Amino acid sequence: MSNYVLKYTRDERVKYISHLDFIRTFHRTVRRAGLLMSFSQGFNPHPVMTIAMPLSVGVTSSCEYIKIGFEGDYSEQEIADRLNEAFPKGFKITAVKRTEGKEHDFAKLDRAVYVVEAECGDASAFDAEKFLQNSELLVMKKSKSGVKEADIRPYIYDFSAKCTADNKLILTMCLAAGNTYNLKPDSVIDAMEKYTDGFSVEFFCVHREKILAGTEELI
Amino acid sequence: MSYTKRDKILMKVQKPTRYTGGELNSVVKDAALVDCRFGFCFPDVYEIAMSHLGMKILYHSLNEREDTYCERVFAPWVDMEEEMRSRGMRLFALETGDEVVNFDILGFSLSYELAYSNVINMLDLAGIPILAKDRDESYPIICAGGLCAYNAEPIAEVFDFLMLGEGEESINLITDEYIKWKKSGKKSKKEYLKTIARLEGIYVPSFYDVEYNEDNTVKSITLTEPEAKPVIHKCIMKDFDKAYTPDKVIVPFGEVVHDRVMLEVFRGCIRGCRFCEAGYAYRPVRERKPETLVDLADKLLSSSGYDEISLSSLSTSDYSQLKELTDGLLELTEQKKIGLSLPSLRIDNFSLELMKKVQKVRKSGITFAPEAGTQRLRDVINKNITEENILNSTKMLFRGGWTNVKLYFMIGLPTETDEDIQGIADLSQKVLEEYFAIPKEERAKNINITTSTSSFIPKPFTPFQWAKQDSREEIVRKQDMLKAAIKSRKIKYNWHDNRASYLEGVFARGDRRLLPAVLTAVKNGCRFDSWDEQFRFDKWMQAFEECGIDPDWYLRERSYDEVLPWDHIDIGVTKAFFMRENEKAKRAETTQNCRQGCSGCGITSFGAGVCFE
Repeated sequence: MSNYVLKYTRDERVKYISHLDFIRTFHRTVRRAGLLMSFSQGFNPHPVMTIAMPLSVGVTSSCEYIKIGFEGDYSEQEIADRLNEAFPKGFKITAVKRTEGKEHDFAKLDRAVYVVEAECGDASAFDAEKFLQNSELLVMKKSKSGVKEADIRPYIYDFSAKCTADNKLILTMCLAAGNTYNLKPDSVIDAMEKYTDGFSVEFFCVHREKILAGTEELI
Repeated sequence: MSYTKRDKILMKVQKPTRYTGGELNSVVKDAALVDCRFGFCFPDVYEIAMSHLGMKILYHSLNEREDTYCERVFAPWVDMEEEMRSRGMRLFALETGDEVVNFDILGFSLSYELAYSNVINMLDLAGIPILAKDRDESYPIICAGGLCAYNAEPIAEVFDFLMLGEGEESINLITDEYIKWKKSGKKSKKEYLKTIARLEGIYVPSFYDVEYNEDNTVKSITLTEPEAKPVIHKCIMKDFDKAYTPDKVIVPFGEVVHDRVMLEVFRGCIRGCRFCEAGYAYRPVRERKPETLVDLADKLLSSSGYDEISLSSLSTSDYSQLKELTDGLLELTEQKKIGLSLPSLRIDNFSLELMKKVQKVRKSGITFAPEAGTQRLRDVINKNITEENILNSTKMLFRGGWTNVKLYFMIGLPTETDEDIQGIADLSQKVLEEYFAIPKEERAKNINITTSTSSFIPKPFTPFQWAKQDSREEIVRKQDMLKAAIKSRKIKYNWHDNRASYLEGVFARGDRRLLPAVLTAVKNGCRFDSWDEQFRFDKWMQAFEECGIDPDWYLRERSYDEVLPWDHIDIGVTKAFFMRENEKAKRAETTQNCRQGCSGCGITSFGAGVCFE
């Protein structure tokens, strides 16, 4: 068995696929590609596969990671080519890297960069600098123990906002992500509305630009 | 990155991939380059629609044509419909997202009566006038096919035409004629309908005038156009082994009901259960060869990436070359780690061995359909299964380690007495005793028997098409009786909602005078009637009352000399045969199956299938 890390993108056409549905879609893609997956041992064998970070429904991405075991010994290029051939339109493998042991550990991934396009009541009412000056940003946030108020300010690592001609905000934000602490752009939007008078977001869509380990990309 | 009006809707609804299209193997074409845009409409939600084999066949068949683009059009779930209506968004097709009001032809699949309200609602949502007579040439041609098309009289006037029987050929013929008509300037819709009315299996409801007697029964069905046929015969694919079938299917993103490769092994059924419309309507039995099927299975698995394949037919065990087929398939599935599911299999040594091979670890539930509780009543319905068969099979299953057994019955069957109801409880109890008769160390733990009853609904084109359907009160009485008769806690009893069966019964043998009630019910919010949580029986009853219709009347017993609303339709099995069968039923006499010998049902006229083996 050989393990590989795959990097792939997901565009508008496939952004409504839920995490579980994506897993099923990916398994089928691998089978169509004729690549032999490694299966776990036990009563109910399933493919050996890990997804770095589940993507929320409605979010596009240019940087997703999967780790997967194959029985065959394929070249990195061959895996990319065969998967791209077999994928439904909207997914694309952009890099493949053979990996061993603890190399390319998904646990090291701790942040993600998002670009958010937000339709606002009055975009000019929002001031990014002033927003970031808040020493704490308390919003209701879902966690394992239910919905409760949490301070998300420490988990916003980078944040900028640009106003467009058609009264939209283009937000770029680097947020804590992964198993230790996961902050969704949705919570940041909540905070923006709460901490800026006369400002509201009517609708927004999210794109995940990068998933990082510190400042490094995985592959 | 940018978003559209549709994104704003999709972010708000459940399961948005129901509406996005773009699945693997969905067909992409330039709509501007085709002569005919065809919308294949299934009047239910995505997960049901995408499980329908007929849709897969006809979708890909039409898309083989360069001059036609067939897209899928399904009923949006109630949350989506609300969003669409509040924003003035009209019914659209999944492939292009284009509004279907601009299509050339919309073809509905009518598989069950309780979807009629969805047909009406979809047309309304599309911005298309409901009735054929209110649509001029600027609107799409609206047609339908499927099992219910044989008696779609309650909503027949919605359609420009209906396609009776198997559609692989006729859907292409009506498309050919449509394109000719369109190219000649689409002068009058009636001209197009006259042309296709000459084709086999095409029924144009507006060419038939129905008159009624004072007692409300049908007096006569008369032709209003010379092109219309006095009797319309169904179509079949005579050489089923060679009939078109796609070697790729659309693979949905979300989970659907039948989320696997479906391999259609044969059409028709040799059995002749007297309650079963499908068993007669799909006659004669025509099989595909095992080598054709194994080859097809290989292609379908490779092109879809599915990890499961299921055999599809009305009765798997009756496939004449089952061993050859399963040997070939097992070779394929073991090599590719594919699951094989074998529905409607009779339990014997062969099938038990087979089941052990295909499900190495998990032991799923096994379903039996004795349909009736006593041998007498099973003889009445010609369900050729004995108590001994069932008990022997369950004994084998319990010894083999299975502990989940489901038993399906019907209540309200013709000639049924309370003794027959008690028989359901008794048979369930005997199955349970088979389990306990096996020494503890030789059986698996946790026995679980589920006994389910549905309510018998007399259907057209069956020997019971003249029978009385039990009233709701009588069904409830029988259900209560059975609840009391089942003593063991190891037996779970499930029963079907009497109100849904009632409505289904009204439509199944309904006539054109039901139409106003359907329109009224939909206007008052009825849709998705086959979904318990959406079904609004009170609104239906209110609609019948408003329209002055007594729905009970449609459940009554008919006499042989009554003109039936579907008498101008011919499925190949003769009315004389159905009468003979009905008389035999009254005497509890059984009829041999098609392989044991011919009983003269009339289907030999098609010159195909089991009749000539």
